[in-house]
Amino acid sequence: MSVYRRGLVSRLVEGLRYGGGAGQWSWLLHRITGLGILLYLVVHIWDTFLVIFSPASYDAIMGFYGGKIHGVEYPLLRWAFRLGELGLFASVVFHAVNGLRVILFDLSPIRAVGAQKELFWAVVALFFFIMIPVTFIVIHALVAEPTPVAAAIVFPRNFVQAFVH
Amino acid sequence: MAVTARSRRVKPAGGFELAAWYFMRISGLFLVFLALGHLCIMHLIHNVESINYNFVSDRWTNPQTGYIWRLWDLTMVNLAILHGFNGLRQILEEWINRAKSRVVLRTGIWIFAGALLLLGNYAILMFVKDADYLKNRRDASSDAVTVRADVDRGASSRHPAAVPAFDVLK
Repeated sequence: MSVYRRGLVSRLVEGLRYGGGAGQWSWLLHRITGLGILLYLVVHIWDTFLVIFSPASYDAIMGFYGGKIHGVEYPLLRWAFRLGELGLFASVVFHAVNGLRVILFDLSPIRAVGAQKELFWAVVALFFFIMIPVTFIVIHALVAEPTPVAAAIVFPRNFVQAFVH
Repeated sequence: MAVTARSRRVKPAGGFELAAWYFMRISGLFLVFLALGHLCIMHLIHNVESINYNFVSDRWTNPQTGYIWRLWDLTMVNLAILHGFNGLRQILEEWINRAKSRVVLRTGIWIFAGALLLLGNYAILMFVKDADYLKNRRDASSDAVTVRADVDRGASSRHPAAVPAFDVLK
C-alpha cells in the first residue's frame, strides 16, 4: 500500500486512480456541478439586484447575456452565453437527479447499495430524458427567432394560433 | 483518506452537522421543484432575449400573481444560498483541518453568504415598479432602430400574438 501524500496534485492523481466506479464519478460530478451552480448563483444575485438599484443597468446586462452590447448584436457572444446557459441547465438537472439518488441512499441504505449500478444508470437515463428536449428548445430559440417552442409542447393550440391568424 | 471519505457518507451523530445534514436534504427536495421550475419558466417558456426590466417588474407587481412569484423567488434564493454555501463549506473542510483555519473559513463563508442573502431578499421584498423608466425607455426605443432584445416576444410581425396563456407565467 502506497503512502498517502498530502498536497493538491497528489490528491487529485490518487483520487482519479481510485477505482470507485460509478459512485466515484457521480460524487465528483455532484461536486463540480454544485460549485458551478454556486458560482452562477453569486453572479445571478448581483445582476438581479440591479433591478432595484438601476433598471437601465439591468436591461444592459440582460442585453449582454443575449449577446448585445449597446444594442449591437455579437453572434459569437450570443452563442457563447446560450451554450453556457445549456451548461447551467445540465448542471442543475444532474445535481437535482443525483441529489435524489443520494436521498434514496439515506432513506434505505441497504436496498440502495444493492441496486447501486441500476440507480446510477437511472440517473443517467433521467438526465438525458430531460436534457434532450431542453437542448432542442434552447438551440431552436437560438437559431430561429425567439419562438415559443415550449408552447408547442405545453399548449399546442396556442402555438398554432401564433402562426395561423 | 478512505476512512474519512466513507465516514462523510454516514449521517452525523448530532449538533450543527446533523442539522446541516437534514437541511441539505430537505432544502434539496424543495430546490428540485423551485429551481427546475424557475429554469423552465425563464429559459424554456421565456428566454434571455425576452427577459428585461419590463418583464421582471410585470412579474413581481402583478396584482394577482406578483405575490406568488415573489414568495417563490424568496424561498428559492434563501434555500439556494444556504444550500450552496453549506456545500462549499463541507468541501473546503475536507481540505482545511486546523481548528483555527476552520473558524476563519466559516466566518468568511457566512459573512459572504449573509451579504448575498441581504441583497437577494432586499431586491425581492422592496421592489417597486419604476414607471418613469419604462415610459422613457418606450419613447426612446420607438425612435431608435428596433433591436431584437427590445421587442417583447410575441410582438414582432412574425409572431404577432401575445399568447394569453403565457401571461400567467410572467
